[in-house]
Amino acid sequence: MVQPTYDSTPAVNGSLHGKADSGRRHLRHLFANSLARYYFLFSILALCLVLGLVIVFIGKTALLLLGQISMADFFLSFNWTPEEDKFGAAAFIVNTFSLTALTLLISVPVSVGMSVLTAEIAPVWLKRFIRPILDLLVGIPSIVYGYLGLTVLLPLLRRASGESLGDGLLAAALVLALMVLPTIARISDDAITAVPGKYRDAAYALGSTRLQVIMRVVLPAAGRGILAAVILGMTRAIGETMAVVMVIGNTSQLAKTLFTPASVLTSNIVMQISNVEFDSTWNYALHMMAFLLLLISFLLILVIRFLGRKRREG
Amino acid sequence: MKLFKKITFTALAAVFAVTASFAGAASAAGSLSGKITINGSTALLPLTLQAAKEFQRLNPKVRIAASGKGSVTGPQAVKKGIADIGACDWDASIDVPGFKAFSGQVANKVAVIPFATIVNKNVGVDNLTTEQLRGIYSGKITNWKQVGGADADIVVITRAFGSGTRVNYQAKALAGGDIVKKEKNYKETGSSGDMKTAVATTPNAIGYIDLVYVSGDVKAVKHNGVAPTTQNVINGSYKVWAYGYYMTKGQPTGAVKAFIDYVQSKKFQQGSLKKLKFIPISAMK
Amino acid sequence: MSGFSRSRSSSWAVRRDKLATCGFYALGALVMLLIFWLLFAILSKGLPGLDFSFLIRQPEEIDAGGGIGPVLFNSFYILLLSLFISVPIGLGAGIYMAEYAPDNAFTGAMRICVEALSSVPSIVFGLLGLAIFTEYFGLGLTLLGGGVSLALLNLPMLARVTEEAVRAVPKELREAGYALGLTKFYCIRKIVLPVALPAIITGICLVAGRAFGESAVIILTAGLSTSGEMWDFSLLSPGETLAVHLWYVQSEAIVEDARQIADKSAAVLVIIVLLINLAFRAPLWWVKRGRGR
Repeated sequence: MVQPTYDSTPAVNGSLHGKADSGRRHLRHLFANSLARYYFLFSILALCLVLGLVIVFIGKTALLLLGQISMADFFLSFNWTPEEDKFGAAAFIVNTFSLTALTLLISVPVSVGMSVLTAEIAPVWLKRFIRPILDLLVGIPSIVYGYLGLTVLLPLLRRASGESLGDGLLAAALVLALMVLPTIARISDDAITAVPGKYRDAAYALGSTRLQVIMRVVLPAAGRGILAAVILGMTRAIGETMAVVMVIGNTSQLAKTLFTPASVLTSNIVMQISNVEFDSTWNYALHMMAFLLLLISFLLILVIRFLGRKRREG
Repeated sequence: MKLFKKITFTALAAVFAVTASFAGAASAAGSLSGKITINGSTALLPLTLQAAKEFQRLNPKVRIAASGKGSVTGPQAVKKGIADIGACDWDASIDVPGFKAFSGQVANKVAVIPFATIVNKNVGVDNLTTEQLRGIYSGKITNWKQVGGADADIVVITRAFGSGTRVNYQAKALAGGDIVKKEKNYKETGSSGDMKTAVATTPNAIGYIDLVYVSGDVKAVKHNGVAPTTQNVINGSYKVWAYGYYMTKGQPTGAVKAFIDYVQSKKFQQGSLKKLKFIPISAMK
Repeated sequence: MSGFSRSRSSSWAVRRDKLATCGFYALGALVMLLIFWLLFAILSKGLPGLDFSFLIRQPEEIDAGGGIGPVLFNSFYILLLSLFISVPIGLGAGIYMAEYAPDNAFTGAMRICVEALSSVPSIVFGLLGLAIFTEYFGLGLTLLGGGVSLALLNLPMLARVTEEAVRAVPKELREAGYALGLTKFYCIRKIVLPVALPAIITGICLVAGRAFGESAVIILTAGLSTSGEMWDFSLLSPGETLAVHLWYVQSEAIVEDARQIADKSAAVLVIIVLLINLAFRAPLWWVKRGRGR
C-alpha cells in the first residue's frame, strides 16, 4: 500500500508504526474503561453514602420517639397538641396523601399535555420559545410563589368560594401544581423526544392520525420516562415547603373540605422544627414525621410504578 | 463531546481544589480568635446585622456570622456550642410557659421590643381589652359584632407555638390566655412578614406583630384604651412589650463580650437601635 | 393519502385529531398566559427602579437604598460550588445505574430510595448540613457548608435525570458501537452521552435553578449574614445568598423599602435563572447547528 506523502509518518515502516499505535491506543482505552468503571462505582457509592447519611440522620432521632410515646398513638391519633404532650400525626398523614393526590390530579394532565405540545405538535420556533420559559418556572424561588399565592390566589379563592380565609388544600395544590409543572413537562418532553422517529414513521405509514400516533405509539414508548417525570414531580411536591406553609393555613386538623386550614407533614415539620428543643419528645416526633415522609414517598413511588407496569401490560 | 470532557475535567479539578483549600482552611480556623457566631430569634436579626456591620467596621479582624431560625434556636445553639450568642425573645435562663430554663446561660438584655395587635384595614374596631382578646384567641368570640364592630366572622391569624412573638404576646396581651385552634377562620404563619401580609390581605383578620413592622397597610388597635406607641411603652402605660436577650454560656468574654458591650453601649442604643425603632434598654427603669 | 376515500371511522379520527391539536394548543396558550402573567407580576414590580448599582451595593438595615452586592456574589459562588460537587457525582451515579448496575431487585430498590430522597424537605438537608459542618467539624456558618449541603440536596434529582436520559438512548446505537469493538466507556463517552446530553442539560438546568432559589438549606448552613466584603472568595465566610436575602427582606427586615428590595431581588433572581438556562443551552444549540442538524 503506497502512503501518500501528506501523512507525517514516513512511508517506510508506516504500517508497523500504525500497529503499535493502535495497540497502545487499545490499551489506553482499556485502561480508561476500567478507570471509568471505578469512577462510576465511586459516584454511586457516594450517592449511597448521602442516602445512608440522610436515613441515619433522620432515623437516629426518630427512633428515640419509640421509647416516649406509643406508635399506635402516633399513627392513629388525630390529636396533635405538643403543648399537652399529644403527638398524633394521623391528620398530617391523611392530609399529605390528599394534597399529593390533588396536586397530581391537576398537574399531570396539564404537564404531560404541555410536553406533548412541545415535543410533538408545536413547530420548531415555538418549541424553542416555550421550553426555556418553562424552565424559568423552576428558578422562581418558592417564597415568591408563596407570596403571590398569599396576595393573589387567596383573594381569588375567597371571592370564588365565599370563605373568609381561603387557606387550605386547594390553594396549596394549585400553587404546587404550578411549581411541579416544569419538572414534569420538561422531563417528559425529553422522554418523548427520545422516542425514535421510525416508530412514528411506521405508525403514520399505516395511516394513523397524529393523535393516534401520540396516544398509541409515542406516549406508550415514552412511558418509562414520563413515569419518572411524574415521580420526580410528585416527590418535589411532597418535599416542597416554603410556598405551602404560606397558603395551607398550618392548623393541625384533618382537611375535611378543600378550604379547611390544615397542615401536611412537611409544612408541620418546617413550621415547628425551629421552635423546639433538641432533646424533646416533640423534636423526636418531628423527625419521625420526616422519616415517615420518606416511607410515604417510597410507597407512592411503588404504587405509581405498579400502575405504570400494569397499564403497559394491559 | 469535547465540551463534556472539559466540563467533567474542570469539575473534577475544582473538587480537588475545594478539598485542598478546605483542608488548609480548617487548620487555619483554629488560630482565628475573633469569630462570633450568632443564631436564634429572627425578630432581633435586623438589630444584630446592623450591630455586626458597625462592630466589624471598628474591629476589622473580628468576623461575625449571623443567622436566625427561631427564638429557641438561640439558647439551644449556645448550649450545643455551635453559636457564641443566642438571640432570644425571652429570658431563656428561667422557665417560661412551654420552655424549660437553659441552665448555665446568662441573659444579656439588648433591646426593648413592643408588640402590637393588628387588624385588617376593613375592621372598624379601634380598641380591644385584654378580656376581649382572650375571648377572640380562645375561640369564644367569633364575630366582630361581639366586640363592637360590623357583623363579620373574625379571622384569627397567629404565629406557630414556640415563636418568641407568640410567647410574649400571650403572656402580656392575653395575660397568659390560651390560643386555641379553630376548624375555620384560623391560620398560623411562620414569620413576621407573613403575618403582616396575611393580615393586610385577609378581610376581617386579626393578628399581632412586633411594633416595628406596623405600617400603613394594617391597622394597629389600642390595647385597653392605650395606643401602641414608643412613648406609651416608655411612660409605662402600654404593657405589651418584652426585652430581647443575647444568651451566652456563662459570662461573655473576649470578642463576644466586646460585641455585647457595643450593642449595649449608649452610642448604639441611642443611635442605630433607635433608628431601627427598638427602644433602648436604659429607657425602661 | 388525500387521494383515497376515507371510511367514516377514519374521518371521525381525523376530526378528533384536529380537535385534539386545538386542545393542545389551547392548553399551551393557557399555560403560557399564566406564566407570562406570573413573570409580569414579578418583573413589573421589580424592574422599574432596578439599576446596576443595586446589584453591587451593600445591603442596609436602617436606611433605604440597600443593594444586594455580596449576596448576589455568594449566590453564584455557592451555586458553582454545589454544581462542581453534584454534577460529576450525579452524572457518574446516573450512568452507573443505567449502564453498569445489574438489573435486579437491589438496583430497583436503590432507584426508589434515590427518588424518595428528593421528597425529603430541604430543611432536613439543612439540618443534616448543620449537624455535619457546624456541629461535627465546628466550622460555624460557612459558604462551604452551604454549597455542600446544596449539592447533597441536588444529587438524587441529578442522578435520576441522568439515568433516564442514558436509558432513553436507543439500544441499537450501543450495539453498533460494541460491534465495532469499542470498549464500554468509549461507547458511553462517544455514542451514548452525546445523544443523552440535551436531557442531561435539562436536568442540570432544573437543579441549578432550584439551587439558586433555595433558602431553607442556606439559612441553616451558611447563615443570614455576609462578611461585608464584595469579593470574598473564602470558603469559610458566612454566605447569605440572594434567595435567603429575599426571604429575610420579605419576612423580617425593618428597613422601609423592604417591599421594593424584595420585588427587585425576585426580578433579579428570575432574570439570572433565565441567563443560567441560556448559558447551559447555548453551547448545545451551537453544537447542533455546527453538526447541521
